[in-house]
Amino acid sequence: MAKSKRHTGWTRLDNAAKIFPPTSDKRDPKVFRFSCELSEEVNPDILQTALDQTLERFSGFLTVLKHGFFWYYLENTDLRPSVHIENTQICTPLFDRNVHSLLVDVSYFHMRINFEVFHALTDGTGAVEFLKSLVCRYLELAHQDDFPGHAPGSGFDASNSERWADSFQKYYNPKEKKGILSPAAYKVRGSRLSENRIKVVEGIMPVDKVLALARSHNTTMTVLLTSILLCSLHSMMSLRDCKKPVAIAVPVNLRNHFSSGSTRNFFAVVSIRYNFSRNSSELADVISSVAAQLKQMTAKESLAQQINALVSMEKNIAIRAIPLVLKDFGLKIAYAFNDRSVTAALSNVGSVKLPQAYHKYIRLFDVMTSTKKLQICMCSFQNHLVINFTDSFLSADVQKTFFRTLANMGVPIEIITNPLEDEKEKS
Amino acid sequence: MLHCEKCGVNVAGKREICPLCQGRLSGNPCQESFPLVPTIYLQFHLLFRILLFVSVAFSIIAVAVNLILEQTGWWSLIVVGGIASMWLSLSLAIRKRKNIPKTIVYQVILISLICIVWDFLTQWSGWSIDYVVPILFLSGIAAMAVLTKVLSWEIENIIIYLCIDALFGIVPIIFYFTRTLHVAIPSVLCVTGCVLSLAFLCIFKGDSIWAEFKRRMNF
Repeated sequence: MAKSKRHTGWTRLDNAAKIFPPTSDKRDPKVFRFSCELSEEVNPDILQTALDQTLERFSGFLTVLKHGFFWYYLENTDLRPSVHIENTQICTPLFDRNVHSLLVDVSYFHMRINFEVFHALTDGTGAVEFLKSLVCRYLELAHQDDFPGHAPGSGFDASNSERWADSFQKYYNPKEKKGILSPAAYKVRGSRLSENRIKVVEGIMPVDKVLALARSHNTTMTVLLTSILLCSLHSMMSLRDCKKPVAIAVPVNLRNHFSSGSTRNFFAVVSIRYNFSRNSSELADVISSVAAQLKQMTAKESLAQQINALVSMEKNIAIRAIPLVLKDFGLKIAYAFNDRSVTAALSNVGSVKLPQAYHKYIRLFDVMTSTKKLQICMCSFQNHLVINFTDSFLSADVQKTFFRTLANMGVPIEIITNPLEDEKEKS
Repeated sequence: MLHCEKCGVNVAGKREICPLCQGRLSGNPCQESFPLVPTIYLQFHLLFRILLFVSVAFSIIAVAVNLILEQTGWWSLIVVGGIASMWLSLSLAIRKRKNIPKTIVYQVILISLICIVWDFLTQWSGWSIDYVVPILFLSGIAAMAVLTKVLSWEIENIIIYLCIDALFGIVPIIFYFTRTLHVAIPSVLCVTGCVLSLAFLCIFKGDSIWAEFKRRMNF
């Protein structure tokens, strides 16, 4: 007889996570993947052992998503993930309303370890902490001679309660902020891949070259790459298209502004807008506009106001009393409405840091996510910066312009893509 | 490592053409970082479409024949109604196929509603609420009782079972007391079955059900 339900732990979803279950579908399952490419082939048995041991410290990932009458919630489960060779398309759906299954998946292919997770469970920062711990544990088990006795570990030392804290609640300060209606943005169009497949085009380049390039333009790496992205999108737009602004949604890691050890969601999204029919399309002008917008929107007060606006909605008694079925419907509509004002999303996870002892076994870290639009994710490890484009379109014109621009500026780039059957039909 | 002159980039993998500009590549292929996952052409999509076409064709032919032989009454509407009901039931079953208790419940309710509407449209004789509804409800409850034991269901399925018990018990009672029934026995049997299983669940699984209920109702 299974143990009484009274004692099974459970927790509510955090504020940002609440949008993901109702808006997850086959075309965009709201799953993202973090990969680590090692300098050697992956051993699946050692990986499974490392996974089991790492999950002991990340027990919050051993949950299933269930729905109550008013809210979704996460419940602890006895299910355990099994490591398998990568044999499904990238970012397969992990959340199904009718089946209670795990929200994480770990696979491997040649030298890569892949970690896929449903966004309701964690954000990029939380996922990268998990992958770092997993990789460190794997390397410690695979190369025991190099890590005698007490291994340094990934350096993440938050306690269990700190990891599963809902930081949105911690920094909520009851205040009002009126929402502003965003104008419709330019949308990338084209034929899509069959069966909701995702096309991955990633570019690996040296961090120091890109930083030098950014410095030569008097700006940061994120601003430079966002500006080049805007110009690449512009090169594909007709004069009519230019009437609408190009909007890039940029998630901002709130942990950089508000102290938190949480591995759950703790991010806010800001929108960088540029209208090419009213402003110059010179890179320097785009850079100054993007830099100004980013500075203003990531100021601590602006972010705090956003947190308050989001959490106050969640705490509103009238909203809490609405049954989940109606809430889902409302959230879907709100999300679709907001979505029309976004052209692409750019997510910079930042630099992944690990103790020196592990460096010789790891080549790079990589991040990608499911999407209906165009999604750019980037992260760096040591001197390898990986910029990853994911979309479900057949053509790769934006990627071509983007990477050619960087190559023409003197940056050596290695392009990796995922093989697709549709490609063979094209040629 | 392969190289594309036009783009000025290196390309990893075993490509023949550049993924960015589809131009020629030079150099040596190397290992892929992602596997090739073949697309699956869903075979039963074809079967599904054949079935749908046959149903639609049948309905159209029935209506056409009826129009030619107008004097025999509007029997073609029954044919179309029957086919539509069957499709409704089938599509609901497929959508909810992974969740068995919900499938059973939705099917029972849907078929009962269809029968009541049918009865209503064919000069109300009451056969639907006298026989069909209680028998369907009772079978639904019996099926859930058997499956609970056989599949060792989790507590949330048992709660659904409990609510359904209550619902399936109340409806025949309403019919009984508003004197719309001509034959009482099937309804009485149905209510008895409901109350019995309700009692069983409350007594043996009461505290688990209460804990799960509080969790679900979290505000």
